[in-house]
Formats: sequence, structure tokens, C-alpha cells
Amino acid sequence: MTKRILVVEDQADNRQIIRDMLAPTDYQITEAENGEEALAAIAKQRPDLILMDIQLPIMDGYEATRRIKADASLRSIPIIAVTSYALSGEGQKARAAGCDDYVPKPFSPRRLLAKIRHYLQ
Amino acid sequence: MRRKEPGEFPEHTVKLLQTFADQSVLTIQNARLFREIEDKSRQLEEASQHKSQFLANMSHELRTPLNAILGYTELMADGAYGGPSEKMLGILKRLEANGKHLLGLINDVLDLSKIEAGQLVLELSHYSVQDIAQTVRSTLEPLAADKKLGFKVEIASQLPSGRGDGRRLTQVLINLVGNAIKFTDAGEVAIKAEADNGAFYVSVRDTGPGISAADQAKLFQEFQQADNAITRKKGGTGLGLAISKRIVEMHGGRIWVESQPGQGSTFTFTLPVVVERQVEPA
Repeated sequence: MTKRILVVEDQADNRQIIRDMLAPTDYQITEAENGEEALAAIAKQRPDLILMDIQLPIMDGYEATRRIKADASLRSIPIIAVTSYALSGEGQKARAAGCDDYVPKPFSPRRLLAKIRHYLQ
Repeated sequence: MRRKEPGEFPEHTVKLLQTFADQSVLTIQNARLFREIEDKSRQLEEASQHKSQFLANMSHELRTPLNAILGYTELMADGAYGGPSEKMLGILKRLEANGKHLLGLINDVLDLSKIEAGQLVLELSHYSVQDIAQTVRSTLEPLAADKKLGFKVEIASQLPSGRGDGRRLTQVLINLVGNAIKFTDAGEVAIKAEADNGAFYVSVRDTGPGISAADQAKLFQEFQQADNAITRKKGGTGLGLAISKRIVEMHGGRIWVESQPGQGSTFTFTLPVVVERQVEPA
């Protein structure tokens, strides 16, 4: 069955990079530009994995992650935080919010894809 | 003091009143000083918060465009937009190398600003010196191989598990080994690690040109490299060793160099095996 990935990212370039990175795979992509859109997208269709930018307008990635992880029916969806907000302690903060993994920006598409494959095995 | 008749106050009353007056003046002055100190410290706190927010924003603003540059470059090199020609692949590799170099510079400047602003917080947890050395080896051995340099790792057997900021200590070791490779044109680079009396000793030895005593003194200061001509040729911000020194000191350790011109250099840092809390700069 085709796996669905929800990409939560406000920067058009980064969405494009992730889209191009996933193009050769058969993963299906849904995109959201902020935490609220992400929650709405999840309510519509449950993704198998979420790539979550942290610094987002309206509702940031930490808040969105907390809400997803607080919902028993969604808790098992792996969330990979992808963030350039890389002050020290960010890794711990991402995990505290409930993210399963953390990738600092700039990320290598090759490595991010490997991580996605690992979680979707 | 309660007198029924007019006339002069007796001397002891005047003295007493004088003392009261003096004390009152002092109290009023103290109260004013306290308020001033309170205002100043509030202002300082606000300034520090602004600085910290500014650093966070800068970090984000500088990395975001770099993410696009490096991301597209890698996708192009991997053929996401059609297979690149050999020539184009070469250029893409250089684009990537330059982008990563720029990222390194940005990280250095941000790290140092964070340290200066007292915003660098160690993430203390368990780490293994062996794992750190392995990470550094896999990151930098290709660079040494490019220059046909030997790469040795000598880790004492049964090193205890350490407690500290493993990621930051990896950064220190990458810095030292990166420098050693950068400045050595022939021979080898070696990492050595041992534990003695509750402390780790980690050293990086190279067979490079060596450093004069005068230059050794400047090495660990910000924006200093041994020789400006070398800086221009080899690149770098001259911040790496200053940052490494601060990181080691925050672990309650120290870092030094032993070298003679023509005899290679050995950089060593030592720190307690177990660091329970971050050491604030004196």
C-alpha cells in the first residue's frame, strides 16, 4: 500500500526540495504550511509519517506535535522535526514536544530520505 | 527633645538629630541606589533576552537560504533533474563544498556569539570517547586520504563512559583534527585518548609545520590564526580553537598545544570523566 507523508513547511523552496526528493519514490505527499493546516490535513486523511518544520506561522511545529501526540489515535504516527532553529537544546526540545526524530537544517535530502525509509519500513 | 521653653537645643540633642538626619540621607540614597540597580538589571536582562532572540532569528535566517542552496545542489548531483554531465557534476561538488564551508563559518560565528551572550548551554548526558573518535574518523578520514595523510586512532582499552555534552565534544575533536589535516601536507594525523585519575586526556598529533611559541599564545584567542598569510591560503574564521577552548572550559577542563616549528604539533584537552554541571566562565 502506498504510504502517505505529510510535509509541514512554510518555505516554498523547502517544500519543493522535499517534493523533488520524494518524486522518484512512490510515497504520496500532502503539504501544509502551518500547524493548523497540518491538523486539518491529518483530520481529513491519516498520514503514515509527518515531516514537521518547527518555526511556522499561526501554530508552530512544537504545538502541532503536542496536539497530535496527545491524541491516542494519532500518537503512533512518527514525526520527524526538520528545523533550522538550531540553538543548542533544540534536539531535546523536539523530543520533549513528542517528535520521534530530529533533523537540523540544512538537511541532506539523501539522508532525510534514508531516515524516512527507516520509519516507513 | 520635647521642650516646653524656648532656647537653644542642648548639644547632645543636636548631635542626636544630626545622626538621625545623616541616617535618613543614607537611607534615601540607598533606596534610590537600589531602585537604580533594579532598573539596570531589568534592562540588562531584557537586553540579554533580545540578544538571545536575535541570535535565534539570525540562525534561522542564515540557514534557511543555505538549506535551499545545499538541498537543490545535492538533488541535482543525484540526478533528480536529469543526469548531470561529468563537468557539471564537478561544479556541483564545488558548489556543495562552498555551501558547506559557508555553513561552517555561520555556525562558528553563531556559536561564539552564543558563548559571549552566555546562551550556550551544554546538554549533559552519557557519551563514549570511542564513539566520538569514530564519528570524527568517519567524517574526516576522507579529507586526510585526499591529501594522502595517514589517519591513526589510538584509544586506551576500557575507557570509562563519560558524562558531558557529547555533541559539543565531537565538535572540539572535529575542530582539532580538521586543523591538523588542513595544516599538514605530508605524514599523518593521530587521535589518542586515555583516562587517568577521573579525567580524560584526548590529544591530536600531526606532522605539520609546527607553531612558534609566540603564535601558540595567540592561537586560542578569537579571530587569531598563527599567520595571516596561512589564513588566506587555508581559509577559516580563526574561531574554531577559541570555541573549542570555551567548550572544554565549560566542562571544567583545559586545552593546550605543544609544538615546535618543524616538529609538528600536539593539541591536548583534558576534562573530568563525569561533568555534573556546566562551569560558568570566570
